[in-house]
Amino acid sequence: MLAAFANPVFDSQRTFRELLQAMARPASPRALPILPPSPAPIAPAAMAILLTLCDATTSVWLQQPQREAVEHLRFHAGLRLVEQPQDADFALITDAASMPPLTSFARGDMRYPDRSASLIVQVAGFRSEGGAHFAGPGIRETESLAIDGLPWDFWQQRAALAVQLPLGIDLYFVAAQHVVALPRTTRLLES
Amino acid sequence: MTPSYNFAFLDEDTKRMLRRALLKAVAIPGYQVPFGSREMPLPYGWGTGGIQVTAALLGPDDVLKVIDQGADDTTNAVNIRRFFARVAGVATTEHTADATLIQTRHRIPETSLREDQILVFQVPEPEPLRTLEPREAETRTLHALADYGLMHVKLYEDIAQYGHIATSYDYPVLVDGRFLTSPSPIPKFDNPKMDHSPALMLFGAGREKRLYAIPPYTRVESLAFEDHPFEIQRWEHRCELCGSGESYLDEVVVDDRGTRMFVCSDTDFCGQRRAEAQA
Repeated sequence: MLAAFANPVFDSQRTFRELLQAMARPASPRALPILPPSPAPIAPAAMAILLTLCDATTSVWLQQPQREAVEHLRFHAGLRLVEQPQDADFALITDAASMPPLTSFARGDMRYPDRSASLIVQVAGFRSEGGAHFAGPGIRETESLAIDGLPWDFWQQRAALAVQLPLGIDLYFVAAQHVVALPRTTRLLES
Repeated sequence: MTPSYNFAFLDEDTKRMLRRALLKAVAIPGYQVPFGSREMPLPYGWGTGGIQVTAALLGPDDVLKVIDQGADDTTNAVNIRRFFARVAGVATTEHTADATLIQTRHRIPETSLREDQILVFQVPEPEPLRTLEPREAETRTLHALADYGLMHVKLYEDIAQYGHIATSYDYPVLVDGRFLTSPSPIPKFDNPKMDHSPALMLFGAGREKRLYAIPPYTRVESLAFEDHPFEIQRWEHRCELCGSGESYLDEVVVDDRGTRMFVCSDTDFCGQRRAEAQA
């Protein structure tokens, strides 16, 4: 079996601070400081997020629950795996092209919009040129970013959820050592 | 540093719970996220919410500043700074510009904050509607419906009674045009600093078990009326120590005959200005 964080207390703290800044400054890629070993199909950056945020009190849905990955997560994080996407606090999308529709995940309750899913999506890469423009809380004017490898109707699906604000889904995209967060409040501007 | 505790006092499960709640708080600006507040080695009302948020954030490379009503040298600030120096061994500072993390009770520093700094507020009552509606189920519904008429009536009654909005601290704000939020009991003088702040602002209420956030570069409006716009406090005095006419002033009684002087509430800001004047 592979190891997890070499130094759980400080590695998860440093990872969390990057995630917090990523969430506070949407659509802006940040480098994760530690990439732990990770069994396929889970990318090391996604593993860093799972080890930082998930434990026995969180329910996690895996798009591709392969045995080695499942055993690794159960052993190192003790997290609860669920069968249905709508039961998940965190969902790990390892094959973005065939991800289930966003409406299959929990979007929270009007009184408790925090009871909603956070998605960790492994994508092919990020590009700042030729990208879409984003605006919203945390973005000074606009931020430009292209995310490669998402389903063709992903942005339509996400825009359709925006009418339900403050309900919604928060996204973490990972590619290589980078993470980009898109909270529900970030708007994709018409270009 | 006391080696018998986990780094920054809290256990890792508690930190993970706080970190998940903080990320949701940032994702839903101004919304109060419930969290499992822990018993801390000091009583509620002494900043247990802020301390738990700080503990979840803190790393060995951080430089921590703690202020109480703007001052670095008051009991609450000194104790919290010492607490984290003991249980986390982090560097501490009194200079706003040197800090990576600033925990505050009831002020925002006068010195402008930067993008790489995080401000953590200690919050006694996170629910701005609580004095108007005591039932949590009801205030949750009001937030769900964005029904903030009650607060407008309260401000209107101020105008009807006093001729102006008399609320001078904990002045309610609307975050990103959606959630009515308590800025914590900062003077309304500090409210404009929250609008499009470059620094992330996190709020922790230990007794009430709620935390919330205002992300950087987010619209933060202080509630007001078209014919009674929002105004901050102004003084006829200047700070008697540094001469500043722009900072928030404290009125201090200095002897038994009731002699008073006005001084900056932000001790670091005042001290730096005096040092510059001498140089």
